[in-house]
Amino acid sequence: MTETNKSTQNDIPVMQKIIAVLWPSFLVAGVETVVFYTLFDPLNVFMDYDVSRLGAYSIGFLLFWVFTALPCLLTLYFAKPCIPCAMNKNEAK
Amino acid sequence: MTEQKKATSTETPSIEQDLYQKRKKIYPRQVHGLFAALRVSGVSLLLGFFYIMPWLMWDGRQAILFDLPERKFYILGMIFWPQDFIYLTMILVIAALSLFFFTALAGRLWCGFACPQTVWTESFLYIERFIEGTRQQQMKLDKMPMNANKFFKKFSKHFIWITFSLFTGFTFVGYFTPILDLSAAIPTLNLGPWEWFWILFYGFATYGNAGWMREQVCTYMCPYARFQSAMIDKDTLIISYDEKRGEPRGSRKRGQAPEQVSLGSCVDCSICVQVCPTGIDIRDGLQYQCIGCAACIDACDDVMDKMGYPKGLIKYTTENMLNGDRTRAFRPRILVYGMILLGITIGTIIAIMNLSPIELDIIRDRNALFRETGMGMLENVYTLKVINKDIVGHEYRLSVEGIKDLKLNLAKQRIYANSGSVVEIPMSIEVDPANLKQRTTEIFFKLEAIDTNLSVTEEARFLGPRVR
Repeated sequence: MTETNKSTQNDIPVMQKIIAVLWPSFLVAGVETVVFYTLFDPLNVFMDYDVSRLGAYSIGFLLFWVFTALPCLLTLYFAKPCIPCAMNKNEAK
Repeated sequence: MTEQKKATSTETPSIEQDLYQKRKKIYPRQVHGLFAALRVSGVSLLLGFFYIMPWLMWDGRQAILFDLPERKFYILGMIFWPQDFIYLTMILVIAALSLFFFTALAGRLWCGFACPQTVWTESFLYIERFIEGTRQQQMKLDKMPMNANKFFKKFSKHFIWITFSLFTGFTFVGYFTPILDLSAAIPTLNLGPWEWFWILFYGFATYGNAGWMREQVCTYMCPYARFQSAMIDKDTLIISYDEKRGEPRGSRKRGQAPEQVSLGSCVDCSICVQVCPTGIDIRDGLQYQCIGCAACIDACDDVMDKMGYPKGLIKYTTENMLNGDRTRAFRPRILVYGMILLGITIGTIIAIMNLSPIELDIIRDRNALFRETGMGMLENVYTLKVINKDIVGHEYRLSVEGIKDLKLNLAKQRIYANSGSVVEIPMSIEVDPANLKQRTTEIFFKLEAIDTNLSVTEEARFLGPRVR
């Protein structure tokens, strides 16, 4: 009983959760930035704004990071054990 | 059911406490010995390389500069353009293969001696020891309630850590923005907003990773830590405790031989645990948290010396050796990794050596396929794009072959490109229609440097009317 009630998500330390959201997204955002700016000149992307190339790279990277961190966050959220499932399992036992 | 519920509700708090237990801070004890000396030299070499490299000059410019705004990478005498990206990829592939090779050979050498996380953590530990003292003193200080002395020590430690981190961030940005401009702008704090951002960002990452996260980076963030076991086999050098010799462990007086007290060689002094930067007990066997830093070897050898026992209770060994079997250093895995590594390295070096310092692009005029001139000749219009990747400027000569008696009309008489520049030259080619055998004829543009023997040949097409 205690075994099944124990949610697997709680086994993961908070630090690991934070890292699981911020770290893979950081790595992937780096790759996305490289690929994106090989195809597009940063100055053309931010044509209407007064942004230097370094600024354009940085903004691009940060946006990619945010938009990649969101799915990581959602994965973490949906990976939570679902309560009805857990209850069904208990009744079956 | 109610009883069960009761049971769980009483148990829950203890579980919760366990699950939310905060990470215990690890206070690695200082260690002296062969491997500690190796690590210190590794750390000094790598950090020295990192901090000094951006200041070195080559031909009047920064020797290593990844100029993102200009989209050019300067490495010593070479300039890499975005189209040379493949070589960067090759270098990464070589790095990955070397990691496989050395892991198969000697375990986590990378983690213990060369990983930036180890290198910066080591320097941060050094600063921490300098301010707060030995392991015992640090633990005592942390248990103590806040007072002036504790505040002063903590403040100085973080102050030095942060200064060091900011300097690290500054150096990092110096690889992407000319470091001389950057250092000239520092006194007046007159940096661009993004330079500021990245200095602070990288500085913060250094401070966080080396000051606070430490071994958690290896446990939670490092992908290598999770898959390295796949590269380790029974012949790989690992750090291991000799259980047969050590057990049963137990304390005893100095100078008492194991046989006298009917114990193993391990005196259970727990110094191997105290020196471990990841806080594990090597005597429990090979664990994935072990970064192979060999601190426990140094520590244990020291204790064995004091006891008058032979060294090597904890040592570099292999699983086969521990089981009394033969260890083979040259085994298929090593040979295969080694051959692939050698092949790709040689291939990449040859490719980079043969990297042509000139590049020629020929762009056909898209508006008209061809034009008839008043003299009954056919004309095609092109734009030449001459890219000079060399570190000096060159003047070039152009010749075109493929059609009999073709005539070149260049917009400029002199083709000159500065180092690292792209020159575009409009041009046209005229031919006599009688010399055309088909509608599309392949022609070859040859660009030669006048001062050296550099040349490049590029294929293009000459279009004419349908040939009857």
